[in-house]
Amino acid sequence: MSRWHYFFKRVLLSIPVLFLVMTLIFVILRLGPLDPVASLLGPEASGAQAEQIRESLGLNEPLWQQYLDFMWGLITLDLGQSWAVYSGRNVIDLVYIFAPRTIWLGFWAVLLPLFIGIPLGFYAGLNPNSWGDYVASFGGIVWLAMPNFWLAIMVLAVLRQTQGGGFLGFDWYTFGPEVNSLIGTPPLDFAGATDWTTLWLLSVPTGGFYFDFGTLAVAIKVILPAAIVLGSASMATELRIGRTAILETKNSNYVETAKAKGLSGRVIVWKHVFRNALIPLVPIITNEALLLLGGSVIVEVIFGINGLGRLFFLAAVQGDLPLAGSLIFIFTLITISLNIIQDLLYTLLDPRVGYD
Amino acid sequence: MATESQPESETERETGTGSKAETTADRNDPIITVRNLQTAFFTDKEVIRAVDGVSFDIRPSETVGIVGESGSGKSVTARSIMGLVESPGRILDGSSIRFHHTETVREFARRFPGRTVDLGALEAEHDPASLFAHSTVDATPEAFGYDDASEATVADFVATGYGEALGLDPKDCVFVTDGSTDEPVDGFVEITRLSGDPQRAMRGGRIAMVFQDPLTSLNPVYTVGNQIKEALRLHRGLSGAEATREAISLLEAVGIPDARRRVAEYPHQFSGGMRQRAVIAMALACDPEVLICDEPTTALDVTIQAQILDLLEELQDERDLGIMFITHDMGVIANISHRVNVMYAGEVVETADVEPLFADPKHPYTRGLLESIPGQQSGDRLQTIEGNVPTPNEPATYCRFAPRCPEAFADCTEVHPVSLPVEEGADDHTAACLLYPEHRSTPEAVNRHADREDSISEAGASPATDDDTTGGENR
Repeated sequence: MSRWHYFFKRVLLSIPVLFLVMTLIFVILRLGPLDPVASLLGPEASGAQAEQIRESLGLNEPLWQQYLDFMWGLITLDLGQSWAVYSGRNVIDLVYIFAPRTIWLGFWAVLLPLFIGIPLGFYAGLNPNSWGDYVASFGGIVWLAMPNFWLAIMVLAVLRQTQGGGFLGFDWYTFGPEVNSLIGTPPLDFAGATDWTTLWLLSVPTGGFYFDFGTLAVAIKVILPAAIVLGSASMATELRIGRTAILETKNSNYVETAKAKGLSGRVIVWKHVFRNALIPLVPIITNEALLLLGGSVIVEVIFGINGLGRLFFLAAVQGDLPLAGSLIFIFTLITISLNIIQDLLYTLLDPRVGYD
Repeated sequence: MATESQPESETERETGTGSKAETTADRNDPIITVRNLQTAFFTDKEVIRAVDGVSFDIRPSETVGIVGESGSGKSVTARSIMGLVESPGRILDGSSIRFHHTETVREFARRFPGRTVDLGALEAEHDPASLFAHSTVDATPEAFGYDDASEATVADFVATGYGEALGLDPKDCVFVTDGSTDEPVDGFVEITRLSGDPQRAMRGGRIAMVFQDPLTSLNPVYTVGNQIKEALRLHRGLSGAEATREAISLLEAVGIPDARRRVAEYPHQFSGGMRQRAVIAMALACDPEVLICDEPTTALDVTIQAQILDLLEELQDERDLGIMFITHDMGVIANISHRVNVMYAGEVVETADVEPLFADPKHPYTRGLLESIPGQQSGDRLQTIEGNVPTPNEPATYCRFAPRCPEAFADCTEVHPVSLPVEEGADDHTAACLLYPEHRSTPEAVNRHADREDSISEAGASPATDDDTTGGENR
């Protein structure tokens, strides 16, 4: 079985998983303790109005019909309307508004550990038992030991102290692009297009593209403290795993063979050590990205970012089942795509994949 | 497969012996001379003298076997020659590994003119005998294998890490003994002084190595062809389709069927024996003069082992390879090597051609090794050597084998045996044991060992007062 054969098999296998999750969401929504009519009109609702809503929600249809409609709705991303949090608004519209913020946060929370944790870990592994290694490894453990919610509050407290000139005149508020508040939703309208047409099911931009570097800088600056906090645990884990992976690879027989071949140290490290050391890091990176989904709830609440995490938290607390269910569906989609990315990375990095 | 290639390899061997006879002159000129090699590992707790004063030669189209138990220093010897000893390990001053190959000297002199030294000019400036008195030199004539200081040459000093006494740059590593640095006629490359580019050019290009475990010595994420082509590009400047063609012909040369397809496959698609063949192909990619095999058949089953040994013999005959073959298997040694060095706790305890060694082993350790081969013993039980190899963590002032030796006597814990011919005139059969030379009585023999040893250590302690001929007249 070839590597790509294996990869496509993995992609196909994710489809039944998706259907299973969709069915579970249906079961929770329909068989759960919450009555949609009561949720919309209050517990005392009855009579013609209740019957009208019942009719419009399709609750009078046979269960299989409801199931098919529900599944078709999810597949076509027609996710229904919010009951409580943003009553009456289309869930899909809410997702369009809230998701970019979470994606922006998640993007930086994955990127920062990737570009700080792994290089530091690789450096520590290539120079074991040096001062640099001790500092990086010790720092990694300390960093790992600090929980998100505590670190978030500490970061906010320290940055707030710098207002009006703190240590060495450093002021976070005026450092780089000026911001008025430490917390809040980052402005994500730095890039976009004004003209859109609909092509089949998708909207496609056709013109009027714009890009604003000033807004981008503000967006990055606002998200940076939150992303560092959210990525802190992954950064430390990637550092430690990266160090171990390098040490293990560096002492392997094929590296010694490469040395005996007369290759220079640079070629040995870049060609023979790095690619092998990345293999154990792949599941770590994708799993960390998954953990960020859960962690983002806390961090979004503390940093006042109106993202999917916060939306899901509100929906769950207020019993907004269509919204919560749709978000679970979206999280499932993200999880499955991350798994596919993981398989893709494996397939690219390791030729032994799919070999039996 | 084995049966198919049998007749072919038979004829190869015959033609091979013919060519060997023609090149007897070559066989007598060693391509690598190892003299007094000492490699030690400096740990916080102790200094482990993994290799402690080893000397031997490797000649073209000759196989030198190194045999001994685990921990006897075989692999460290090989790694020292490859320059693969890593911190906390270090090759000590006084060690010399010379690579005598005129073509290599010419090429290195051309590529690294800044690191080439004309020894003739140095010779004119310095008197070698007087150099023993130099403050930075703690060597003795005996350490170089001479009886008298006047026999030493300037080459001995520059090659053994004392070059600084002659005002050499620490990076100098190519030495011309005949001709000028521009047009070298003869000379050598001192491997213990190599670093950087010349070291990498030597590794793989001139001396290649095959490691023990073929399952792990190929990088799993690159194709076999990629890894062979890497060596071809590095040392022979081949790339693209030309390199692929060369890689295919190398794989064919080591007996891999369907090489055209195999070259694009990954190591995990190869079987163990095939992988070792691929590793050998990779080692041969740059047409090295010397091949170091560190237990290349230990991880393979006996059928594959026999095939690999046949292959090595074939390749040796085709390419005039000098092979250094490390193993702990006496059977393999008997099969493949021409000369055998038996190592114990970092020292060579017996050296001989393969037939005399197996027919008439002299050192008690060699005898113990031979007796412990199943099928060789007389009684019901298999004879073994009791105990383990000691860790050589102090300078040897006694025989390191004494605690396990069935023939040990009182002097063995007092006197350190040196390598001496086992009997009068048998210069190519030496043993480091107080029982030899055989033609002398034991006390006499012990005295000879003690004399040699004393003169070495005393001279080391106070070089200036050791010998009148080394006196200060030149300084």
